[in-house]
Amino acid sequence: MELKNKKWTHDHFYGVREEILKHWPTGADVNFEEAVKYHETIPARKHFAKRLVKAKKNGETLTQPRAGVALLDEHINLLNFLRTEGEADLLPTTIDSYTRQNQYENCANAIEESMKAGRSLLNGFPAVNHGVHGVRKLVESVDGPLQVRHGTPDARLLTEITLAGGFTSYEGGGISYNIPYAKSVSLEKTIYDWQYNDRLVGIYAEHGIEINREPFGPLTGTLVPPCISHAVAIIEGILAAEQGVKNITLGYGQCGNLFQDVAAIKALEQLAEEYLVKHGYSDCVLTTVFHQWMGGFPQDEAKAFAVISWGAAAAALAKATKVIVKTPHEALGIPTKEANAMGLRATKQLINMLADQPFPMTAEVDIEVEMIKAETRCILDKVFELGNGDFASGSVRAFEAGVLDVPFAPSQYSLNKILPARDNNGAVRLFDVGNLPFTQDIIDFHKAKIDARAKEEGRKASFQMVIDDIYAISKGRLVGRPNK
Amino acid sequence: MENNKVKVILGVIGADCHAVGNKILNYAFTSAGFEVVNLGVLVPQEEFVNAAIETDAKAILVASLYGHGEIDCRGLRERCRESGLGDILLYVGGNLVVGKTDFTEVHKKFIEMGYDRVYEPGILPDQVVIDLKNDLGL
Repeated sequence: MELKNKKWTHDHFYGVREEILKHWPTGADVNFEEAVKYHETIPARKHFAKRLVKAKKNGETLTQPRAGVALLDEHINLLNFLRTEGEADLLPTTIDSYTRQNQYENCANAIEESMKAGRSLLNGFPAVNHGVHGVRKLVESVDGPLQVRHGTPDARLLTEITLAGGFTSYEGGGISYNIPYAKSVSLEKTIYDWQYNDRLVGIYAEHGIEINREPFGPLTGTLVPPCISHAVAIIEGILAAEQGVKNITLGYGQCGNLFQDVAAIKALEQLAEEYLVKHGYSDCVLTTVFHQWMGGFPQDEAKAFAVISWGAAAAALAKATKVIVKTPHEALGIPTKEANAMGLRATKQLINMLADQPFPMTAEVDIEVEMIKAETRCILDKVFELGNGDFASGSVRAFEAGVLDVPFAPSQYSLNKILPARDNNGAVRLFDVGNLPFTQDIIDFHKAKIDARAKEEGRKASFQMVIDDIYAISKGRLVGRPNK
Repeated sequence: MENNKVKVILGVIGADCHAVGNKILNYAFTSAGFEVVNLGVLVPQEEFVNAAIETDAKAILVASLYGHGEIDCRGLRERCRESGLGDILLYVGGNLVVGKTDFTEVHKKFIEMGYDRVYEPGILPDQVVIDLKNDLGL
């Protein structure tokens, strides 16, 4: 198999498909033609892709939680609660971690145990085990647009079942669901397997069924500089578009400095549009998603609400199309539905209050936009060059060379050479740029920013500074200053 | 060169891929003078046991952040005994169950499973290092 960013042929796709549907018995219930007819009956108000397009047109920022439990009826109750009590605009179905590793047998056991225990022992909804019929019951019992959210390196059967079941949005990508979610699965394999998922969405599109696709923006969620996540997002957008995907949402995880966060969304929109058109995909609808702070949270719920609200404010001021919401239980793991709804309501209040306050394009924001674009271009253009004009094989080579590198990634296929740290204003910079293909100007910019902080704190930049930054928000501040 | 450092096994159990705390713990225990055999994320029980046997480790430090800890951690003590590791120190920490739960219950549950120390969310690596040194008489 030679990995290329090239639309799969009919024979290739259907050859692989035959095998995939045999991976677990519920695969037998997938019938594409019948699924297309089912999708035609889904009303616009429950249609994820259409709701995003409307929000973009109206300049809205929609709210969306994360949520999923083991049993079907409990999951339906959970989502309805988040819709009514949490006022969520968009709904998720978070998939459990056994499904993400294709351990459907473990899911079956945990479903049994959850029934006995009267509570969910899984951290998400095992959609493959529930099958097309279970998923359709969910879709029909919940009054809102539904998206699959997960973290699955090989999601092909999950994609088949959830899309045939009536989901209208699907998260993930060959890079963003490998590097942060796997240890030893090669990028060739995940990019190839995700071409399958994108091609399936493309085939639905060719039958008039629009399904939204969203690469996972925040990656490891730990001090990821915007240029890294933007480069991955734009590559995954291009890979999806090549397979025929027409409705794409690109994401970014909040870093915490408002100027950098607002600039990141602006830069992402502008660059993605430019690169998609430049590479021949001019008929895609692009929207953006802003993730509230993905790192460690304070345990104190009042403090957690402050972090949530700051993320809500940044999302609204950046005019992201939607925001993924955290909860006051974040520091302690999976939230109750009540806590989840509270995070949603706090976010909604902030967004509504800021809806009529456009954030001015200040000089600070301008500089950040220009820096992020320059950095991201360096990476993207080098990836394209390493692939001899191909973003798929180029991505594999770029990770080998450290041209693409994600901080704190579990995957052995990420070089893990770069080290991020905050500057004096809390913006995320790089104190070690590793092998990122930056110009000298950009390298000097990062060095100056980190040096200024080190001087202010009277210490050298080191791994300890990075650790201090990782813990800082959970301990009550943005920048991990040393104790005085 | 003779290496007298005490070896500890570190890893994130089950289908969990939370890598950040793992890297910080690796750094903290290495800085504190231990030799860390870091198995990283997505580690099955038998891999913890095999690594402990192969390296003659004095402790196994298990992390679980994603809520399946209750299922994944069960039976590790029995597996250690069956493999001849007997009462090797077993520590566990993280977000061990699904949902915000009273920690005393969680603590009790994992102590009954045979873990020597059970850490609640938010504990800092320094505390675990101090405990380990105490438990090993270092």
